[in-house]
Amino acid sequence: MGPLEGLAYGFAVALTPTNLLACFVGVLVGTVVGVLPGIGPVGAMALLLPSTFALHPATALIMLAGIYYGAMYGGSTTSILVNVPGEAGSVVTLLDGYQMTRKGRAGAALAVAAVGSFVAGTVGVIGIMFAASWLADVAVRFGPPEYFAITLGGMLLLSRLSSTSLTHAFVLVAVGLAVGTVGMDPVSALRRFTFGSVQLAQGVELVPVIMGLYGVAEVLILAEEGAVRAHVASVRLRELLPTRAEWQRSAAPIARGSVVGFLTGLIPGPAAVLSTFIAYALEKRVSKTPEKFGTGMIEGVAAPESANNGATAGAMVPLLSLGIPFSPATAILLGALVIHGLQPGPLMISQRPEIFWGFVASMYIGNFLLLILNLPLVGVFVSVLRLPQHVLATLVLLLCLVGAYSLNNSLLDLWILVIFGVFGYALRKLRVDPSPLVVALVLGPMMEKTLRQSLFITRGSIVDLLSRPLTAVILAVPVAVLIGPPLLRLLRRRGRPAEVGAA
Amino acid sequence: MTAERVLALATLLGGALFLIQALALPYGSAARPGAGFFPTLVAVFACAIGFVATVRAFLVAPRTASQRAMPLPPEPRSRVIVAVVLLLAFCAFLPWIGYPLAAAGFVALLLRRLGASSQAAALTAVLSAAGSYYLFAFLLDVPLPRGPW
Repeated sequence: MGPLEGLAYGFAVALTPTNLLACFVGVLVGTVVGVLPGIGPVGAMALLLPSTFALHPATALIMLAGIYYGAMYGGSTTSILVNVPGEAGSVVTLLDGYQMTRKGRAGAALAVAAVGSFVAGTVGVIGIMFAASWLADVAVRFGPPEYFAITLGGMLLLSRLSSTSLTHAFVLVAVGLAVGTVGMDPVSALRRFTFGSVQLAQGVELVPVIMGLYGVAEVLILAEEGAVRAHVASVRLRELLPTRAEWQRSAAPIARGSVVGFLTGLIPGPAAVLSTFIAYALEKRVSKTPEKFGTGMIEGVAAPESANNGATAGAMVPLLSLGIPFSPATAILLGALVIHGLQPGPLMISQRPEIFWGFVASMYIGNFLLLILNLPLVGVFVSVLRLPQHVLATLVLLLCLVGAYSLNNSLLDLWILVIFGVFGYALRKLRVDPSPLVVALVLGPMMEKTLRQSLFITRGSIVDLLSRPLTAVILAVPVAVLIGPPLLRLLRRRGRPAEVGAA
Repeated sequence: MTAERVLALATLLGGALFLIQALALPYGSAARPGAGFFPTLVAVFACAIGFVATVRAFLVAPRTASQRAMPLPPEPRSRVIVAVVLLLAFCAFLPWIGYPLAAAGFVALLLRRLGASSQAAALTAVLSAAGSYYLFAFLLDVPLPRGPW
């Protein structure tokens, strides 16, 4: 099935009433979650995962993905109107977005952000159609050594690119890998680190860990503030139309942001956040008036808002074509597929086309729904912010508790939720990004399995494993990114005394 | 001691304990790795990173560490502590008193501590406990503990 034929089939799947409703619910919930500071898309996806158990896998995936990219849309609203980013991917938007609000151009900023997100989502869907199919064709030829290299390389890249120091990122990778070894050994079925617990033999469930790190931890931060209500600026519908000049100034940043976002999304790491910084820096560089950025430039809203949505789409490529998630949000999507008995990977496109193409088409429909939802309903979404934070925090905690329990009807999952919630809170206080832990927890078992298979194939020779052409190429990039910057710093430091001496 | 140093020492100590546990598992050989092979690698990695983090926290970057450690004022800190204690209490009491009562108690006590009035806290507690019980136990068919009732 070619990409266009596949997309047509996907639309037939995504436009069924059930899937359309799932898409609508997903983007609606995602937008609300994006608007609310403190509750990110990952926490919301983890929270709603149990409610998708009874759904068809395609429907579940469509709804969960809708939450993810819906949150990217919603996050911009609070950045622009309240100067508070709804989620991390909208931090850059507030630099110019809030300044536009202060100048009475909030409506124009919101409209450009929504259109930019729609365009980026569309570019992203086209990118997924071609990139995922191509990568899946290539990945069919991958063996355990290549998969081992991808998981190892992904973790190294994520550690380097995450917003945390490299030492902290490696600490979290170690914790994630260690937690991932708990349970039954995949080869010998020997129980490891279970301390006699039958429930632990199944391993540590991903969802309570994510709910704890993202949901509970964020709510504990909200709890610090007690009873608080946000002050929200009001926007009238007639103020939503940008001027002709504003449209013209936004067109190129939207196009550049979309491409930058999609390409950044392909790289392991906090792509949605990273892409906004790259897109913003790029706009500043190409602008004739870079000094005006931060004072209410519409380019400073258009580019990052397009980039974070493009990155959301880009992050789906390794998940759908290789079955490897490089971010906590895609890890939840992987978890949803696995719970439904599916293993994403190169064969999923040909064996389960309704899942892959239905999902791709639903992203297009979801982006369109968001465009028509977000502009007229911006006032309604913002009014959600008037809900007292302490009530919201308490209700979210309760939903986390009952959601975690409902996964396996297990008290163990509740304890895991609370332990990782407290750990996540401590990480936030240290300003450490928990995503390396989540990705290591997801990739750890795959890494162990492929490493053991690879060593069996190469009869225990690490050199043979790493010297396979594809493995070497895959590992060269992260290794260069990892050792490149310190090596350059060292070379510069060595060069400096010589220059001084010569002078 | 700063949180930075606690994290570093915890990693080192945790890595060492994990290594002891991992070494008790069958290691196998490089050509036929056993169940302990990968955990041992992870434990060695954790110990190495824990060592580097400890050196950085105590010797290299003590100034950065102290700058990062922003002590929380007593009132917000007590709100967080109460929230954590209530979470733990929910987990501990759920099998004994059942979901509806545990949920209502959790919501009422937490809301009250976070600054809600008694009436608002009680009303929200009853509505949220009943609503979530109906959603999960009836609509999603999750067998939530009902307690002795």
